[in-house]
Amino acid sequence: MKASNTIFKISIGLITFILFAFFLSTLGNIVWKGLGSILDSLNNEEILFAIRLSLLTSVTSTLICLFFALPVAYGLERYKFPGRKLIRVVLNIPLSLPPLVSGVALLLLFATTSFGAGLAAIGLNFIFSVNGIILAQFFIITPYMIRVLESTFRDINPRLEFVARTLGCSQWQAFSKITLPLAKNGIIGGLVISWSRAIGEFGCALMVAGATRMVTETLPVALFLNMSIGNLETAMAAATCLIIISIFSLFIFEVLGVEKKGVSRLY
Amino acid sequence: MISLQNISKKMGDFHLDNISLEIFDEEYFVLLGPTGAGKTVILEIISGMYKADSGNLWINNKNLTKAVPEARNIGFVYQDYMLFPNLDVKGNIIFPLTIKKTPPKIVEAKLVRMTELLNISGLLKRHPSTLSGGEQQRVALARALINEPEVLLLDEPLSALDPRSKEVFQQELKSIHDETKTTTIHITHDFNEAYLLADRIGIMERGQLIEVGSSEELFKRPKSPFVAEFLGMENIYQGQVLEDGNGTNILIGPVKINGLTNLKGRVNVAIRPEDIIISKENFPSSARNTLQGVIKAIVPQGIMVKLNLDIGIPLCAVLTKKSLDELGLGVGDQATAIFKSTAVHIF
Repeated sequence: MKASNTIFKISIGLITFILFAFFLSTLGNIVWKGLGSILDSLNNEEILFAIRLSLLTSVTSTLICLFFALPVAYGLERYKFPGRKLIRVVLNIPLSLPPLVSGVALLLLFATTSFGAGLAAIGLNFIFSVNGIILAQFFIITPYMIRVLESTFRDINPRLEFVARTLGCSQWQAFSKITLPLAKNGIIGGLVISWSRAIGEFGCALMVAGATRMVTETLPVALFLNMSIGNLETAMAAATCLIIISIFSLFIFEVLGVEKKGVSRLY
Repeated sequence: MISLQNISKKMGDFHLDNISLEIFDEEYFVLLGPTGAGKTVILEIISGMYKADSGNLWINNKNLTKAVPEARNIGFVYQDYMLFPNLDVKGNIIFPLTIKKTPPKIVEAKLVRMTELLNISGLLKRHPSTLSGGEQQRVALARALINEPEVLLLDEPLSALDPRSKEVFQQELKSIHDETKTTTIHITHDFNEAYLLADRIGIMERGQLIEVGSSEELFKRPKSPFVAEFLGMENIYQGQVLEDGNGTNILIGPVKINGLTNLKGRVNVAIRPEDIIISKENFPSSARNTLQGVIKAIVPQGIMVKLNLDIGIPLCAVLTKKSLDELGLGVGDQATAIFKSTAVHIF
């Protein structure tokens, strides 16, 4: 009996180790090689352009995403109304959809309908433009943000808001003075996870905005374009930037303990 | 004055049924009833968390049936306190004043008064999560009272406290009410608590308000078997404390009972039926009360039997069927009731 227990434990340890070693060498290898070229690539105009464009688009799309996700997540969590489940399902579809499909869907809506034409007429062109990258990122990351925020609000007792209201707060005051500060960690977590998703977004943005060198060239696009012409050094520099960003956001997520502990253990 | 007129509310399987109730200014009103009777729903309707399906709510001549919670000027203290975890104790207490943009000088003066009233001056810088249950309760009460509410609603304020803190806080609730005179509705399932605090008590069962009256009225003349049963103590008397040296004797009608109390003058006396020992003959024991009487009735209750004795006053005792059989007692027989002075509750 004892021997079989030992074998069981050793097997688990061994399998874990194999997987860990595989992941670590994959990531370690590229970071190791990429770090060498990253200093050079900081003088590389193309990589600098990609970094700037990635930061600009991801920050913009994340902020727009927060603007929509905050009230939507709050409403879905706090109010029970008919159609709530349907709304939730629809808003979650991009999570399970291949990004390429989302991209095609956006492209069709904005390129072939009068809705898209109308927006273009007032100067909001999304097709093969930087706006398109932001749009694609927004579409992909919003479900993540809503999920994180919904679980955040779920952990905040609605009676806290109610007590605030008996103490003289309007609904908005109760939300902004009590719920919002309590949701701080969840919001930061949502921002970080959405932002890191946005910066890595490729397939959907590719469909909407295309992959034009020095125009719609974000970090993933830079990686793709340089890889396809065999420019390995620049490709690895772009990949390294992306890996550093994901490790950073994973780290923040772990530190904040979003979802695992909820926002507040006490309430 | 708070006036509930034919308030009904359906929530899932639960139904609050046509509640009409008036609570007078400066009154300490206790809603008493078992869990699930609908006491909290009434508070939540008064405070505006839920709207009634039908009926009207008036507070001080304003019809507030449809008013939003913030327009009602009500203090609500939850059983689990609901302190704001993003604010420290001071931030919690002055919260309603900051919302109203009260000038700092007034805030400071009110804060001092509240913290002194509730004995929490030393806690102001602390975070709610570092406070004991009793301390959180005081902070929650201070936060509600600093807003000078027209009505204070207390949802089982003592049930989460340990027995010692409970006793202390119970006394304080009374003195706070004496000082602030805030009209208060207090919810509990503990009738001792109700008896001690209430000017009047309302008894609830399954969404209905069964009876309303002063504690004396309810205990003396329960209008329904439920009320009597819920009040539990069958042996409740009014008496007079006699100081004749030998411990403390209380005169109840023609009967002298020995109990322990610091109270003087007129008191209420309660003896639980389970605390009374019945014997056929008088025998020497350490118990201070040995009273002769006649068995008036024997009421079977499952494996137990209830014995109604006349010892000059009616006295009810509970014993097992088996011991009654072994004693061989029947209706009309002489019996002796024995109980310790510690079994005599005096309040």
